[in-house]
Amino acid sequence: MRVLMVEDETRLAENVARSLRESAGYAVDMAADGQEGLFLAESNAYDLVLLDLMLPKMDGMELLRRIRQSGRHTPVLVITARDDKESVVALLNAGADDYLTKPFDLGELLARTKALIRRGKGQPSPVVVIGDLELNTVNRTVQRGGRAITLTAMEYRVLEYLAHRPRAVVSKAELLEHLYDYNWEKFSNVIEVYISGLRRKLNDGASRQLIRTLRGQGYMLQD
Amino acid sequence: MRRDSIQRRLIATVVLSQAILTVGLMVTGVLVTYWRLLATLDAAMQAHAMSVAVLVRYTEDSTGNVYFDNSLLPESIDPNHPDQFTVWADRTGLLARSEDWPDGLPLRPGPNQHWNFTWAGVPYHALRISHVPILDREEDKAYGPQTLTIVYASPTFRTGQQVKAAGAFIALVSLLLLGATAWLASWGIRRGLLPLQALAQQAAGVSAQSWQLQPPKEAEEIEELRPLTEAMTQMLGRLERSFVQQREFLGNAAHELKTPVAVLKSTLQSLLQRPRSSEEYRAGLQASMQDLDRLEQLLQWMLRLARAEQRAQDARRELELLDLNSTCEEAVERIRSLAQSHNISIHLAIDGPVPFRADPDDLQLVWTNLLENAVRYSPEGAPVEVAVAHDDQSTRVIFQDYGTGISAGDLPHIFERFYRGDPSRTRATGGSGLGLAIAKALVEAYGGSITAESAPGEGTRMTVEFPAMKPVANLP
Repeated sequence: MRVLMVEDETRLAENVARSLRESAGYAVDMAADGQEGLFLAESNAYDLVLLDLMLPKMDGMELLRRIRQSGRHTPVLVITARDDKESVVALLNAGADDYLTKPFDLGELLARTKALIRRGKGQPSPVVVIGDLELNTVNRTVQRGGRAITLTAMEYRVLEYLAHRPRAVVSKAELLEHLYDYNWEKFSNVIEVYISGLRRKLNDGASRQLIRTLRGQGYMLQD
Repeated sequence: MRRDSIQRRLIATVVLSQAILTVGLMVTGVLVTYWRLLATLDAAMQAHAMSVAVLVRYTEDSTGNVYFDNSLLPESIDPNHPDQFTVWADRTGLLARSEDWPDGLPLRPGPNQHWNFTWAGVPYHALRISHVPILDREEDKAYGPQTLTIVYASPTFRTGQQVKAAGAFIALVSLLLLGATAWLASWGIRRGLLPLQALAQQAAGVSAQSWQLQPPKEAEEIEELRPLTEAMTQMLGRLERSFVQQREFLGNAAHELKTPVAVLKSTLQSLLQRPRSSEEYRAGLQASMQDLDRLEQLLQWMLRLARAEQRAQDARRELELLDLNSTCEEAVERIRSLAQSHNISIHLAIDGPVPFRADPDDLQLVWTNLLENAVRYSPEGAPVEVAVAHDDQSTRVIFQDYGTGISAGDLPHIFERFYRGDPSRTRATGGSGLGLAIAKALVEAYGGSITAESAPGEGTRMTVEFPAMKPVANLP
């Protein structure tokens, strides 16, 4: 998953990004002002935008409106210092999906981030079940037929993304775009490596192949 | 402690004054009645004395002697108590006296005397008339006329009874009136104080949520209550303003503190999320220290502002006589290193000393805040100019920079606490959003004013104006 964090308070942005990378395995892009944020949001496919309201150059509310005007479905989680009813209502009406008030708890931020990404992909439960495969997005564990499977961080990220879009064809480019931050292009040939690793671990002792390769189109996770 | 009551006091005052009036009226009434009865008695006694005088006749023997003819004695004035009298002729001597005339009764000297005496348990009023001519006129005789002296005394039982009856009547009427007055007063006063109760009820409804005091109509119509309602309305207005200000400040302060707290919290939480190397811990702790420094600075600014605003209300603070120009010079010296780091030169235009009475720390804070502001928003190499101008009316200190300027939309708000036109601006330049608010509070504490003129891109001019001090001979 790939997240955009628009926050001018560099230290806060860094802390949140570190936490998202370490605890959720997300790729995080950072923008320090509204204009940069808008540029990044328009030029990349993000699974979530974390947005501060008080921003230089373009304030968060305006950025939020522009993102929604361009018809993007990306979930937006707003971080604000104001928690009065009026501003919360204005936020949600402008197209925000959720909000957190400063100072917030990183654990809560992580949980809300995961929930928003899940819902953005039409996946209501934190435990994704596809056939006999069970993927727990809370503690990042994978089971198949009751047997725990140990994955590397990158393998998990690939599987998590595929699991959030079951029975859909996911291109290599899409995978790359959602698993790495802005310099993803240089990783283009590693996806095959992760996919083959995943296949091996998931199919250990099982008969049915879960990840299908559609030549020239991409990958599909199905039971 | 017994609670006093205006109502009781007013009723007591009315009743007491009524009682004093009543007693006065009673005494006057009794005295007047007594005097009038006595005058009537006197007149009656005089008439009776004359009736006694006409009973004195000259003897037929041409000796000029007189005798008393007691066959035609007048009736007593009080039929139940006999009158007493005695008659002398100046030559013949004692002519007659009533049967019960007391022996040795002192007869007062002098003409037309009245007096009272008690004899044998009977109170008498006595009248003495001298030089009464004898009406039986046969004085063409050679011996010449005689005159009479008559003492007539009448018991005053009846007068006393009449006075007592009159007194009792007056007392009865007065007491009835007194009762009626007390009742009327208590009713009237209770009714008169009703608007006060209505006002109190209205005032009881005032709270931090609803500051409006709508004085009830009946209270507004009453002249004596007007100063009270006006004072209350004004007081509530002042209280509301200061309460709202405090609440706003609290809200703003909390809002401002949230971001540095969020940074600190996120730093520590991400540090704790998993086991780290000691280098990572060290880096995290150092970052936390920086966050804390920022928090501390913000708190210091807030405290400074609170103190500045408090000073404005502290009438007893100690002021010293100082030279305004030298405080400006000191402030410029303090800022110079900051200015030099931005390659900004500060020009100070001052002449002779300007006497001023103030706390030097306050002025320092004002000047340094304004200077810091000017330096912050100046581009590299631009000058900042400070000038002090004074005349009989006022002293003006002007800070001119040639920096980014302030937009027309922000200009009216820059002295508000935590106001930031562009949120990035203060973060980039390190301000707290409180410097100008502090300067304003301090300047106003000395009866001065602070104004800003600005054109975006051309610079900003801040003018601090104090009313001129009364002439002072010597400056320290």
